Amino acid sequence: MTLLKTYNKDFSSKNKPPVVSVIGISKKFPGSIALDSVDFTILEGEIHALLGENGAGKSTLVKILYGIYVPDRGEIYIRGRKARINSPKEAIRQGIVMVSQVPQLIDKLTVAENLILGLEKYGFITRVGKVRYFIREKSREVGIEVDPDTEVWKLSYTQKQLVELLRALLLNAKVLLLDEAITFLPLIEKKKFYKFIRDFASKGGSVLLITHKIYEALEVADRITVLRLGRVVGTVPRSKVSPDDVRKMMFAERSSQVTYERLPISTPRESAALEISDLWVMGDHGDHAVRGVSLTLRAGEVMGIAGIAGNGQKELIQAIVGLRRVEKGRIRLYSEDITNRSVSKVRIRGVGYIPDQPAKYGLSLENSIEENLAMLPSLTNRLINWGSIRDLARKLIKEFNIMTPSPKTPVKFLSGGNIMKVLVSRELLVARRLLVAYNPTRALDEVTAIMVRKFIKEKASTEGIGVLVASEDLDEILQISDRIAVMNSGRVVGVFSSSEVVRDEIEKLMVM
Amino acid sequence: MDAASYVLSVAPAFMAYYLTSLGQGFFEKSGVLNLSIDGVFVLGIAVAYAASIYSCSPWVGLAAAVLTAVIFGILLTYVTTKFPVSHGAVGLSIMFLGYGLAGLVGVAARNTYNEMVVSGIYPQFTLPVTPIAKVLMFAIPAGLGILLYLLEVRTKLGAAVRAVGEDPHAATSLGIDVLRVRLIAAALGYSLIGAGSAGFLTWVATWSEGTGINHGWIAYAVSLAAGRHPLLTVGTAGAFAILATYMYTLQAAYNLSPEIAKMIPFIVAIGAMVTFMSTPLRKKLAPPQSLGKRFFKEERTV
Repeated sequence: MTLLKTYNKDFSSKNKPPVVSVIGISKKFPGSIALDSVDFTILEGEIHALLGENGAGKSTLVKILYGIYVPDRGEIYIRGRKARINSPKEAIRQGIVMVSQVPQLIDKLTVAENLILGLEKYGFITRVGKVRYFIREKSREVGIEVDPDTEVWKLSYTQKQLVELLRALLLNAKVLLLDEAITFLPLIEKKKFYKFIRDFASKGGSVLLITHKIYEALEVADRITVLRLGRVVGTVPRSKVSPDDVRKMMFAERSSQVTYERLPISTPRESAALEISDLWVMGDHGDHAVRGVSLTLRAGEVMGIAGIAGNGQKELIQAIVGLRRVEKGRIRLYSEDITNRSVSKVRIRGVGYIPDQPAKYGLSLENSIEENLAMLPSLTNRLINWGSIRDLARKLIKEFNIMTPSPKTPVKFLSGGNIMKVLVSRELLVARRLLVAYNPTRALDEVTAIMVRKFIKEKASTEGIGVLVASEDLDEILQISDRIAVMNSGRVVGVFSSSEVVRDEIEKLMVM
Repeated sequence: MDAASYVLSVAPAFMAYYLTSLGQGFFEKSGVLNLSIDGVFVLGIAVAYAASIYSCSPWVGLAAAVLTAVIFGILLTYVTTKFPVSHGAVGLSIMFLGYGLAGLVGVAARNTYNEMVVSGIYPQFTLPVTPIAKVLMFAIPAGLGILLYLLEVRTKLGAAVRAVGEDPHAATSLGIDVLRVRLIAAALGYSLIGAGSAGFLTWVATWSEGTGINHGWIAYAVSLAAGRHPLLTVGTAGAFAILATYMYTLQAAYNLSPEIAKMIPFIVAIGAMVTFMSTPLRKKLAPPQSLGKRFFKEERTV
């Protein structure tokens, strides 16, 4: 507390006026309290990071500021005047614009059509073509290259986020809410975003950066507010805190569990869990995303696939589990050919799969945790034993600290991080022979991410399953892998054992 | 009958099917599943009939049918967007309500009509069917179709309607008022459905209880078989209009039983939809992703 008082004194000396203040904000969801009397202020021209573990209430607070949720209690002040923000439209009028982790753009519409929707000065009968020039001008001004007539589905994730930023500028945003908007970007793109938001703040704009990544907050923010279990733990200036201080605020006594040391090497067995030979797989845009990949993964071994997003890792993983067609080459699971087998046939053979988009490929959001367990053929027979499924759900909830009112709560009511925990815990359970994962901990906070890595490693070494983990987070790859394969342009450009690996060399291969 | 007469005979049926399916397609692009169409179509016919008789003007009948359809469209849209209720259940309820009200309105008007006929007054309840009027029955709907197409693909309103149909949560986030846009889509779409029902009355030129039943569904099929595309719908509406107009000729020519003849439009409807689904257009003109999905503004999303 003394520490926090010092900090409060410190930033009260700064003379930046508050732009947005929330006082006593509370919000309940069925069975859970997302926010409990939260007080919080964003100053003019500052980058303010909002940190917290999964389910701390960060996204709920931002959605209240953007008018998606209406708070049960509390008040919002904008430049000292009480405001009632009951829709994003109203938030935009007040100069508040949100960019989320999942781009909120309409895929089938063009960039120009998406961007005109929020521009109130254009009436409903305005031709979309009228804003084309305006968009081109503005995008040139901020160095974002985008064709207004491109349909959004043709854009990469990074390009979509850039369009979202462009949208904020077109809307003349004064306060930019970035809800994990940078988290999923490749490192090089992240740096560009950091520059963008620094420029934005230097011109008097305010940024609220929501993240569960401590280093991200420390890299760009002026002040950091930490939320835990829906309450504000404290607000501190970046210059006065170390990562450990912030970690303690986020996780309290659990912060000691955070470590980035390499996990003990497992002992691979003789048998090959997965053999991939000369594999060719098509990407989303009609060209080969995987080009002649050959890899052998031993039982009991963890192999990490390092690479910048979009170099064929996702397609490789999807081909293994049967989600994407193999054009050429073979995939063998414990010597059995599983090339182009259906997902259910692959999964029933004891293959666990952790995708990085749980809502799309991992879970049914409308269903409960129990139902999401029961729908897996490897966990149920033709008749479901709900008693044992319920016990299993309770066990996973406890083991992975999943914040949910009950095992019967629909998954859609959980926070993003907790949804990921449901998926990871289930897949670790069903992976009897092989686990394939793509960015398995990207949405998780540090404590949970490290816990998951330990679980994966332990499973490989004690149960002897093969584990193939593709991740854009090199720290994760270095911490978990016994061997590391680097992918670039759809090819494996290097394989290293963890004892001989040099980080610089991997980074060079990733970008060459 | 010369070739031109054969073509012109199709005009009233074309007008009825094309306008109705045009309205249906545009409205459904906003993401509201419209199962009320047949009931509203049948009610529109009865209202057009009644209003024409009471006012002695088919134009008043047309206006009344449009207004009635719009009221029901707004009701369906408001209930399904404001509250998390099933689009299917509300739509079907309105459909049955439409059937019931059609009987109530139509029978009373028919009695009045009979009394007027006894008194020597023959009120005209159909739109004019002169050759020029029939040409206009092709031209005006086709013109409206082109206008609607331009509205859909060129204007902010068109983008907004497609946006709320694809992803109402994302559309809200982009600054769109989902309810407002859907209500506008309902007003436009249902006014066309109402006009289509008045056109149907012109085609059949008589009213009895149940007039128009199932033709709303045919219009739905016309819209689906063209992927809800305003211009492609001209083709499917034209094909069904020819089939419907010359059904009795076909029946006589091939000596079909009336039961079989009655089934033909529905068999063709299934065939048309299957054919559409087997072409590449199926992907290009895919239905709105959120069609028929309940919309909660406060739903927690990842």
